[in-house]
Amino acid sequence: MAVIEAIETVYLELDTASVTFDSLSGYEHLQIRVSGRHNSAGSGGRTIYLRFNGDTGSNYSSESIQGYNGANTGADRYAGQAYVYAGGRLTGPLTPAAENYGVSIINIPDYANANKNTSMNQMSGTTLGYSSGTFTWFGGSVWDNTAALTSVLLYPEAGSFVRGTTISLYGIKSS
Amino acid sequence: MAVWNVIDHEEFSGSATSYEKTSIPASYDHLYFVASARTDVSTYLGSSKLTFNGIGGTSYDLTTMYATTATPTSGSETSNDCINYIYVAANSVLSDTFGTVEIWVPNYANTSNYKQVLSKWTCPNNSTTNSQWIVGQTAGLFMNTAAINQFTFSENTGGNFVQYSTFTLYGINGAG
Repeated sequence: MAVIEAIETVYLELDTASVTFDSLSGYEHLQIRVSGRHNSAGSGGRTIYLRFNGDTGSNYSSESIQGYNGANTGADRYAGQAYVYAGGRLTGPLTPAAENYGVSIINIPDYANANKNTSMNQMSGTTLGYSSGTFTWFGGSVWDNTAALTSVLLYPEAGSFVRGTTISLYGIKSS
Repeated sequence: MAVWNVIDHEEFSGSATSYEKTSIPASYDHLYFVASARTDVSTYLGSSKLTFNGIGGTSYDLTTMYATTATPTSGSETSNDCINYIYVAANSVLSDTFGTVEIWVPNYANTSNYKQVLSKWTCPNNSTTNSQWIVGQTAGLFMNTAAINQFTFSENTGGNFVQYSTFTLYGINGAG
């Protein structure tokens, strides 16, 4: 049996508010790959938010490093939010080309270990997220809960995922 | 031949100063390492390091970029005895929280070239205070043409990785 397996791929044929994966068991690590765009009017690049096991409490914290709009750099940190802030990056209506979708890779190691909180990292980017704006992003987040992960919810910071967004979930084994 | 292969996996049942895999076969194209780790050092940022083949000396260069404040930082070091600037969670971070580490070592078994290393790491925390969280990535160079057959990932300040820290080493194949 393969060490890495595609658990599920969602290809959106309609604009969709969120995507949930809830068949996660049997692996050591999870990886989610997103090619995505949102439809929030008047905005360009936006963030992907995540929630685990349906938890809407203020139990998520995120930190990130980014480069944007040419030579600019920065870092963000948020504690006690109701979602993973640093989940990835989407393009949007102000992105010049409708065919331009942002890319994100989310890693969730040891997600089923009930002795530790769920930590994750993500690397993402959008070229021309706005008319001249670019964005590359690396972040880490923690969900303050030791429960084994049973579901992952992904949704845009604003609006919905647009048609053509593709989100794939992979499971990676350790034996 | 499978593309992904598990070389080794360990979950620590107690504290230990390092994860080490010896006798790594040369039969893959690349190495990929995943860790979910926390140290017992009484600080926030758990400094860790990487060495190959049991070699220290002056065999490693590195360049890094990271954020532990609102202003990202970059830097480099030469002729190190290890690849450091790899951070996980330490004992003062939110309880039960472990850092994430990914390391790629492409073409690890070739005997003609030095070995390039790329690591990404996070120490997430429920704090926005400077130096109580960190995210970053570090590129390293092992200046040795020997095939890598030993991979050692260690706590870097005299402490230990704690129970439930996990370490997985994969061998990745390209097309035959």
